[in-house]
Amino acid sequence: MRERRSIIISALVTIAFAGVPFFLNVDTSYFAYYLFLSFCHIVIAQGWNFVAGYTGQISLCQNAFFGLGAYTTALIWLHDVTKTGYYFDPVVMVLSGLVPVILAVIIGIPLLSRLRGDYFALGTLGVQFIIQVLFLKGGAFTRGADGLHLPSTVFESMKPYYWTGLFLALFATAVVYFLIKSRAGLALRAIREDEISAAAHGIHVLKYKIFAFAVGAFLAGICGSLYAWYLFHINPDSVLNLNWLFYPILICVLGGNGTITGPIIGAFFITALFSLGTVYMAQTHPILSGALIIFVMKFMPTGLVGLKDRILSRG
Amino acid sequence: MLEYLTFGLITQLFVNGILFGTMYGIAAIGLSLIFGTMRIIFLAQGAMIVFFAYISYWLFTLLGVDPYLSLIFVVPLSLLLGSGFYSSLFKEAAALEDKNISLLIAIGLMFLVENLMTVVWTANPRSILTTYSSFVFRPIGIIIPFTRLIALLMAVLSASGVLLFLKKTLIGMAVRAASEDMESATLMGINPHWVNVVAFSIGIGLAGIAGVGLATIYSFDPMYGFIFAIKALIALAFGGMGNVFGALLGGIILGLLESWASFFIGAGWADAVSYAVFLIMLMLKPEGLFVRSVQTA
Repeated sequence: MRERRSIIISALVTIAFAGVPFFLNVDTSYFAYYLFLSFCHIVIAQGWNFVAGYTGQISLCQNAFFGLGAYTTALIWLHDVTKTGYYFDPVVMVLSGLVPVILAVIIGIPLLSRLRGDYFALGTLGVQFIIQVLFLKGGAFTRGADGLHLPSTVFESMKPYYWTGLFLALFATAVVYFLIKSRAGLALRAIREDEISAAAHGIHVLKYKIFAFAVGAFLAGICGSLYAWYLFHINPDSVLNLNWLFYPILICVLGGNGTITGPIIGAFFITALFSLGTVYMAQTHPILSGALIIFVMKFMPTGLVGLKDRILSRG
Repeated sequence: MLEYLTFGLITQLFVNGILFGTMYGIAAIGLSLIFGTMRIIFLAQGAMIVFFAYISYWLFTLLGVDPYLSLIFVVPLSLLLGSGFYSSLFKEAAALEDKNISLLIAIGLMFLVENLMTVVWTANPRSILTTYSSFVFRPIGIIIPFTRLIALLMAVLSASGVLLFLKKTLIGMAVRAASEDMESATLMGINPHWVNVVAFSIGIGLAGIAGVGLATIYSFDPMYGFIFAIKALIALAFGGMGNVFGALLGGIILGLLESWASFFIGAGWADAVSYAVFLIMLMLKPEGLFVRSVQTA
């Protein structure tokens, strides 16, 4: 009953969001851009939520997966690899998701088998820096700091971006939701609660951890692909930026880590905060954002979703 | 390329690496103390170092105070800030099982301090130029800048000071006991907050010393701190968590790695090399190079 109600609510919300371009000029409105950015943030944040919130592995290389997705899209397009249309091509997008998955498996096997907790976080942070240097020094292939320029003449309207973003946000949320409800999700949560006990119950810990890591990488990769079509100019500074590492973490923890609605609420909240900040207080807004992060973490460590529960349980 | 490789050059690279690395070393000792008692990865350490570098810069440009003399002001300020940060920000979070919260508070603090510095001092790189900035020693043809030598001296002195404090005083012993096992230490009547305050103040205090050292050696800008904090973390992983001299040596090893890698492979690749060595290190010997007793997790 409860489940059916939440499905109906989410369907209604999705339809409402999908209808926005019919009432609002998406190409000129800053609000539509804000929604598009929020959708992107939801996709990448759900990926991190799955790895860190549900499986308990703090991964600090989400920006490397994001950047790899964006670069894959750009490289496939520029080198004419798949011989399909490259602009909003689902094949390219899926491939851009799969390349980070390959990286996730390659680095996941050594890192996840040997490192736990903080050490895993530090290790992934190291991987992220190595990827940055590799793209910066990639020579003719990645064209260094200047990066790759895509033919921006194909741009017509913001509408496809908006709908694709919405679709991806919905897709990411659904993927995380159904995976968590499945047997695999149960195993992942068991690993988060107690790794040794999970292993004793016959869960192949390494396999499931790598699976979670790869799902996170896939979501970051397809988000990077969409963003590459939006930017048309891919360089290490724009897509391997540390913001793509910190924002998902902020969003998840602020919204409520390890919950399905947390990253969504967090994404809308954080994106609104940063967008408003950039518009009204160009220089001082990161100070306020920093202060707000400290404030939220200090007074409501369970995030905004937890705040609702706390108010309900009190009343 | 190899024909240029003289004895003098190799020694020069070696010395450069050591002089470079001690800066990472002091930052790493601070991180090690904070991580030891509270299990917090204090990412804002780098931002704090740059902040104190700016304080020293201000004292120098506005009041004409010599940067080394400014230590008299910077160190008490940093100790005070350290205890202030702990009691206002990390007190509750340090006791929680979920360490993400304290990590995020540290990230928030980093955002706050970095951007505050950008507003106050602008994003342009600054440096302190004194009459002795260009003063250089040349024993057997090796170039050793005076300021770097002093920074090395400050690092060794402060590391020894911290070590003596931890070994000889009662509070120091309590800090060490708490880093081994907080629960047992609490059962032995050690107040966890008191220990944490001490560890945090010394950690930030070392950031103050590193900041003054940094200000006299390099040019710095507000965003320089994050990379510095990461380097300090790598140094920490080399030395082993909770090992004071190990952290200093870890910093020196990192400095040597960077100086050699940037000479032989190229400056841009130096970072990648140090991260790669760091990763291999984490895989093969996560307890660090200089650890005597190994705790099994």
